[in-house]
Parts: sequence; C-alpha cells; structure tokens
Amino acid sequence: MEEKQLNEKESLELITRMIRNTQQRIERGNGIPFLIWGYTTVLVSLLVWFTLKSTQNYYWNLLWFLIPVIGFTAMTISMKKEKKGVTTYIDKVIMYVWIVIGIAAFIPAPAATIMEGFPILFIVTLLISIGTAITGLIIRFVPLIVAGFIGMFLSIFCLILGNALDSVLVFAALFLIVQVIPGHILNWKGRKHV
Amino acid sequence: MFKQLDPLLHSELRLAIMSILISVEEADFVYLKEQTKSTSGNLSVQIDKLSEAGYIEVERGFVGKRTRTVCKITQVGIKAFEEYVESLKEYLNL
Repeated sequence: MEEKQLNEKESLELITRMIRNTQQRIERGNGIPFLIWGYTTVLVSLLVWFTLKSTQNYYWNLLWFLIPVIGFTAMTISMKKEKKGVTTYIDKVIMYVWIVIGIAAFIPAPAATIMEGFPILFIVTLLISIGTAITGLIIRFVPLIVAGFIGMFLSIFCLILGNALDSVLVFAALFLIVQVIPGHILNWKGRKHV
Repeated sequence: MFKQLDPLLHSELRLAIMSILISVEEADFVYLKEQTKSTSGNLSVQIDKLSEAGYIEVERGFVGKRTRTVCKITQVGIKAFEEYVESLKEYLNL
C-alpha cells in the first residue's frame, strides 16, 4: 500500500475492506484464561478435598488461596507470552466483566473463614457461571453460553450440599464443565480458523 | 457546495490505518503492517503524520527485548474520520 490519492469510491471501498478484514480476524476466541482458572481450581479443589478427607484438619482450607496465587501468576506469564497485535472493544468488555466477577468472587472469601455455613462455593460457582454465559453471549459462542447456564443451574447443588465435604467435589466438577471443557472447545475452534 | 475532503485522510495508507484503528481499541505496528501490506518505512512515516495531527496516539514500549509500537485513535481522530465519511457520502450521493 502506498501514499496514493484515492477517488471517493475507492476510499469508501478501502474503509469497508479494512474494517471487514479486522472484524473477521479478531473474532477468534482465546480459551487460555478459561483453561488456566479452570484447571487451577479443579486441581486445588481436589487437593483440598483429599487433605481434608484424610486429615480432618480444617487448616487445609488455606490451600484455597493457591487458586489466586497460581491463577494470577499463570495469567501474567500467558499475557506476556501471547501479546496480541490488536485489542478490540470486545476484549476490553470481556476483561471488565471478569474483573467485576473476580472481585465479586473474592470479596466473600474472608466471610467464609469466619462464618460457619457461609455458602462460598455456591456464590463462586454462580458468579463464574454468570461470567461464562455473559462472555459466550458477547463473543457469540454457544458452548460458553450453554456451559454458563448449566453451571448456574448446577451451582444449586453446592448450596444443597452446604458444608458437606463432597460439595468440594461438586465445585471441582462444575469448574470442569463451566471453564475447562468450553476453554478447550474455544481453543480448538480458534486454531481451526487460523 | 461539497466540503473538501480531509487531505490527511484522503491517502490510501493513512486512510487504511485510520479504518483499522476506528474499529479496534488499539493495534500494534506489526498488525497494521500486516493488514495494510505496507513497508515498515512508509507505515512509520504515515503513523507519524497521523500522530502529529493528533488523530492517533502512539505508545512505544518493550515486550521482552523487542520494541512494540501501539497505536490508538483519539477523539480528534474519530471526529475527523466521521467527518471524512460524511463528506464521502455527500460526494457519492449516498
């Protein structure tokens, strides 16, 4: 492309072509954040379940804090490695949705350590499912929408099970459905479009 | 009487850069080069012209050891682009 003068028709065609090319290129999803948070949560949940079950020592609940530590570290590394050439408004909107969901999910965490029977697992799974469904609707990706709504429905089981240790297993299974599986589908679809 | 088309935008490469930036939040030099199929030298000159006019913001940073130039359209740029499109429509009777 040169610094060539265009006539009016060519100008309009160029604008249309550039905007269309950009839109086609950027609507590819990225499942990496879903996989990072999904796998981290599933593995930490199983670790918590196993240690609590085998020791009955509730101090092992502190292991939950491994989720933000591992998650944020992996996200920082992944973002540095995969610097995209372009950031869209959709990327920004999705980022804001997850910042709000993330903050909302971490705020009740201290309450769970003080108040017995506080339904933290239900709150977290409900919030994450809402975030997943909203992301799916924004990028128009059906597996995310479906996973989000299934998650919202299944999160009720975390509430029903309450403080029973097995609710941790339900929590892990929910993250598998809401984050890990759609994350893999999103990556697979993304690769297919490259 | 037709409005005169903004000479800064009425050039192939600069218009292509602005068309990309109007539809995204920000784009880096490599992406713009790839999309416009231009040479680094020419792209760099046109980016500087748009930046001097206040149409775009240019941020130069580092990713590891490599430099990364990121461009973003400004409010002035958005207004100029919208006016340019309006003028085009008038010319083309759209």
